[in-house]
Formats: sequence, C-alpha cells, structure tokens
Amino acid sequence: MKRLDVIVIGGGLLGCFTARNLCRWDLTVALLEAREDVCTGISRANTAVVYPGYDHKPGTLKAELTLRANRAFGMLCADLDVPFSRCGSLMVACGEQGEAVLRKKLRNGLESGVPELRLLKRAELLELEPELTPEVTLGLFSPNAGTVNPWALGIAAMENAVQNGAEFCANTPVTAIRETEGGYLVETEGETFFTRAIVNCAGLQSVAVQELVYPSPVRLRITAGDYLILDPLTAHAPKHIVQFEPERGKGLTAVPTVEGNLLLGPSERAGSDFGTDRDGLDFVRALTRKVLPKVDLDDTIRTFAALRPNPERPDGSSIKSFVIDRPAERFWSFLGVKTPGLTCADELGLYVARQTAEALNAKENPAFQPVRKGIPKTHALDFAARQGLIAEDPEYGNVVCFCEDVTLAEIRAAIRAGANTVDGVKRRVGATMGRCQGSRCRLIIEELLREEGVYEG
Amino acid sequence: MKVDLLIIGAGAAGLSAALGAWEAGCRSILIADRRSHPGGILEQCIHHGFGADLTGPEYAAMLFSQIQKTGAELRMETEVLSISPSREAVLSSGAGLERVRFSHLILAAGCRERPLGALNITGTRPDGVCTAGQAQEMMNLHDRDPGERILILGSGDLGMIVARRCVLRGKQVIAILEQAERCTGLAKNYHSCVEAHSIPLWTRTTVTELHGEPRLTGVTVRELDSGAERFVPCDTLLLATGLIPEQTLVSNLGTPPWLHLVGNCNRVHDLVDSAAHEARIIGSEIIKKA
Repeated sequence: MKRLDVIVIGGGLLGCFTARNLCRWDLTVALLEAREDVCTGISRANTAVVYPGYDHKPGTLKAELTLRANRAFGMLCADLDVPFSRCGSLMVACGEQGEAVLRKKLRNGLESGVPELRLLKRAELLELEPELTPEVTLGLFSPNAGTVNPWALGIAAMENAVQNGAEFCANTPVTAIRETEGGYLVETEGETFFTRAIVNCAGLQSVAVQELVYPSPVRLRITAGDYLILDPLTAHAPKHIVQFEPERGKGLTAVPTVEGNLLLGPSERAGSDFGTDRDGLDFVRALTRKVLPKVDLDDTIRTFAALRPNPERPDGSSIKSFVIDRPAERFWSFLGVKTPGLTCADELGLYVARQTAEALNAKENPAFQPVRKGIPKTHALDFAARQGLIAEDPEYGNVVCFCEDVTLAEIRAAIRAGANTVDGVKRRVGATMGRCQGSRCRLIIEELLREEGVYEG
Repeated sequence: MKVDLLIIGAGAAGLSAALGAWEAGCRSILIADRRSHPGGILEQCIHHGFGADLTGPEYAAMLFSQIQKTGAELRMETEVLSISPSREAVLSSGAGLERVRFSHLILAAGCRERPLGALNITGTRPDGVCTAGQAQEMMNLHDRDPGERILILGSGDLGMIVARRCVLRGKQVIAILEQAERCTGLAKNYHSCVEAHSIPLWTRTTVTELHGEPRLTGVTVRELDSGAERFVPCDTLLLATGLIPEQTLVSNLGTPPWLHLVGNCNRVHDLVDSAAHEARIIGSEIIKKA
C-alpha cells in the first residue's frame, strides 16, 4: 500500500494550489482527481477575474486573502509562466440605487486597504471606456483588477506541484475513506492509499467526500450560469473588465480575456450540469445590449455554462465566507468555495498547507522550486525568438490551429505533458479555442493523440 | 525574398489565379498553402461533378499539372502568419520563418464553416457534434465515420453531399433539417443525394438543444411554424449551417489597391468552375493593369 503524508482530493484550482503549497514543506503529497484531467469541474468555467478585494466585508478572511492575492498575482503568474492581464475593472451604475452600491463598495475597499480605488463620473468613465453606454452615471475604477485563464493557472500549479515531487493521479475517484491508526485509508477504484492527512478540495463533490467519513456542517446548493465568448476580432470590446449591477437582480461581467476574446456573463439560474440555457443566454445578451450597446453579439463563437456551489447552513441560510472545515485534527475540507476562489486559490492553498504542515510537524522544504516553465507560446514570440524555436524543432514552424496560431510542436508538448483529450490540448495550448472552434484542426489533434499512443485505434 | 505576386492558398481559386497571372506575363509568383498537397478543399470532395464531371482530387490534379508547366513557385506546409500594410508577409514552415515582400497579394484562403458556438443551440457540448466539412474530411481523408445515427442541420450542397456520403458508408441519416421551406442547395445535388438515397428532408425545422454527455444522445427538434418541439435520438449532429469567407488574415488592412480576394474567400461560390474562372480572370487582370 502506498503511504503518503497528505492526500489532496480533487484537481480543481484549489486542489492544484493546495498540492503546490504542501510541497513547500517536507511532505509526500498525492493529488487524486476523479476525472481524466485537472480543472474539469467548477474550475473549467468561470468569469476569469482576479478581483481587487472591495466586494467583501473588511476584516474577513475573504477580504484579507483577496487583497493579498491580488497584490501577489503578477508574481504568481510570472513564477508559473501563465499570462495575466492587469487590465483594471470598472463597476458601473446607471442610476441612484446603483450608485449607492458603488459608494458602499468604495467604503469597503478603502477600509480593507484596496489601493487606487476611485469613483469616476460619467464623462471620465466614457473617456476611459468609450464602449460603455452613455446611460452610465457613476463607476468604481480599480486599476488592480485583472484576468487570467483559470485552466492555464490550475494546470501550471499542478505541474509545479509535480515538479516539486507531488504525485498526480487522474481517473482516481475516491470511493471510501476510513480512519485508521495515525491517519486514513483512502480507497479508490484502483488502489488503496494510507495517508496521515487529507485535504478535501472536491468542489461540487466536496460535501459528498467529507461525508464519506465525517458529517458536513453545510450542504451545497448548486447553481448554474451561462456565458458567451466573442471573436477577438469583434469591434467595440471594452479594454477593461466591466461590471454592471442593475437595480435588481444579478449583473453582468464583461472581460477582455488574456486570449483576446470578450467574455460575457454569467446568468444565474438553477442547474446541475454544464448545459447552457436559452433564458440564461438571453439574459446575458440583454444586459450586454444595455451596458455595451455597440458590441455585436453575432460575433459569438461559443457559449458555455458554469456551475457554482453555494454553501448553506442546515436551516437553508446562505454562507458568505469561505467554508474551510476541519472536522478532525488532520482533515480539512473546502466546502463550496466559489468567487473569489480563482483569485485566492494560491492563498487558500497556502493557508491550509501551513496548518497541515503544523499538524504533521513537517519541516520546510528548502528545495521547493516555485518557478515552473510552460510550453512556449509561439504566437506570443517575436520573429527572432520564433525563428530560434523552429531551428531547434521544425514542428514549431508548422501551424495546426490557424485561428489561435498554435503549432504542431506545442500540441505534441501538451500531449506529452499529460493532455489526454482534445479538450486537454485546448486547456494547455489553446488549440481549438478560436473562431472556427476546432473545425479545421480537431482531426489533426486526434491523429496526434493516436500517434502519441493516447488514443487507441 | 521579393515577388511580384504572392498568392495565399493553393486550392482551385489560388491555382487558377496563378495560371491567369502567368498567362498575362507575370514571371514572379509564389503560392503558399498550409496543407501538404495542393487542391485545398477539393482533396476531400471525392464525389463527381467538378468541371467535366471530374472528382475533386481529379480537378485539383488537372490544375496542378497546369501549374507545373509554369514557373510559379509552390510552397506547401507553409502558413502565412501575418501581412503588413507595407506589403510584407511572414511565412512559417518547418524550414523557418521568412519575410516575403510582394507587389500584389491574392488571398485565396477559401472559407470556414460556422461553428456550433455561433448558432443559437443550447444544452451540453457533447462529442458527436461537428461541422459537415469536418465529417467529410474524416470520412474521405481519414477513413473514419463521424457516427452511426446521424442528423444533418442545413440542406445546402455540403449538407446534402455529406448526407449521401454517410449513407454510402452504411450509416443511418435520420434526416436533413432545413429552416427554409425547401432545400437550399442545387437541384442536381437534391436529386442525386436526397432523392436518390431517400434521405428524409425536414423543412421548416431546426435544432434547439443538445442532450448527452460525454456523447450526444439526441437533440430537441423544433418545428418552426407550430413551435412544437420533440426529442430525436441520434449520436451525431453534423452542422452544415453556412460558410464564412476566411478573411481573417487581412481583416486589419482595409482595402489597399494591392490586395485582391478570389474564390470562396471573396464570396461563396456554388460551383468550383465559377470560382476558378473568376480567379483566373482576376489573376490576369492584376498583371495587365500593373
């Protein structure tokens, strides 16, 4: 039986970052993921925003971690070789009620210490972001908000953990957990592991995983939201993240992504799978027409849905804070972490990793290497650098995904780094994400998966 | 490198434009194409009906043999990464990057298919949904089937030809769905594909929702006039929902006098002969005017 110090259950953003941070101590770590790859659950779809921290009550863990995470995000992404755009955000209002919300957020933010926050009147707003509706009356500008691709971040964290000695086990759903002398027995469909401690990062399944061995103090109400992605060539995309909260109900976030697309969403509705919903998409379209009236929604290249776990007390009341439960000395559970989970993933991972290390009396790992090098992004290189790569490997000269300019060498590298589906390749190097949605490169990628021995037949 | 004429795309239009330009006296022509063989989309169109009832590959071979008699240089497996307003293209291949300066540019990049995400279809995003052209490539160039029980959305020529191909490979084509009141493709294709193989054509219908994960298990079909919806089980949905001229490479250039679009990247043609004919004339005229 394999013996470990810590098993992390669930390879979403939190699991990947918990594993990464556990490697800062002298611990043996395994990350168990039920599905074929990391970031296939909650982390596969979200708004991709790195929040500045004014949304939360000052003094709470959420406010503290978001603020710290935002400050450190540039360094984190530099360490992990992940593109990050600190494009800034504008939360806008069209009327007095909305303005009151902005003023409250400003007070929150100032009290929490969010830097460089300020209110902008209509004329300043339109000067900064001419694509906004002229109906805006006030905006809260935060130059420190940013955007990152959640998969890129999760994959980078997982690879960094593996590089530091953690073991990643895909297709390994946990079927039972039993307390035993000095730790736990974790049964999976394949083998059984012994571990001294467990960190449950199972996202949508987090309550179910905890209930394999302990009762859960909360339950999860799952909601869904719909998004649209527009072609990078669309005219009138905003340069900043634009957030709009109407007088009533759920708002809209528009994000100029690191890939150059415009992401619009989400709606909020009942739902328990990743299927999109007509009313939900229509809701996003209607708000977009109101807030960014010049955006042409015919430039949509993809729609998708996200799932969110909403933690609730047994009486049905909702919980705003992060629920980090510790039902036993050596068992931690993230129960239903949603926004700002992407922003705080590394901070939350470190928060629990530190407690775990203390509980296990682990020493710091002096060999921990925080820097991870990703697959070279050919399209981002200048002529000379790209020429140099082709000289090393001619497959860098062979473009397979025309829309996103992704080469054969990058796709092969993605497969060798663990991509075992076309989606896995997409999440690692961006192929099939463009305006033709893989209609011209999917077959070539499938052939490569066969050539590399991942696909059979 | 410097050429008088750079042509992007070695399909029917690109090769024809090169022939026209050569005949008009141009002696400095470079054709770049990302594929390994010239012919573009013709390579996967193995049915008859091109020119004097040739197959697509035969038609492409005919054009290629004519090109070989000229001095036009053909570079395959070569992607054009960018075109600058100062008339310089960057080409990428296994041999490296190359800057090519040109006097005239002909874009003959064909078209792309409208993907699922651009359609107003909700639900899951399962395996088993692809464009008709992708299915054609899969069957005719890779000898693989897109699925067993197939629905096709769109009754244009591509939708009908791919439907027939599926039937000929022994697959069940449940129906071709068409939003309009009648088939939108050419009559000859309707007769030889739909009628001849008794493929059901459901007019005034569309697909509104996909079901299944990870593989498609069925779709919601809506009758547009009554609004009635029903579930139709299938494992494959092929989208023949429109071709979009592929002009991405020149999208930021405006309309400078040295830039010319030919073939399907200019406008979508019903027949390859008309695309080729038009391209040949444009290729010739550019040189005569120069």
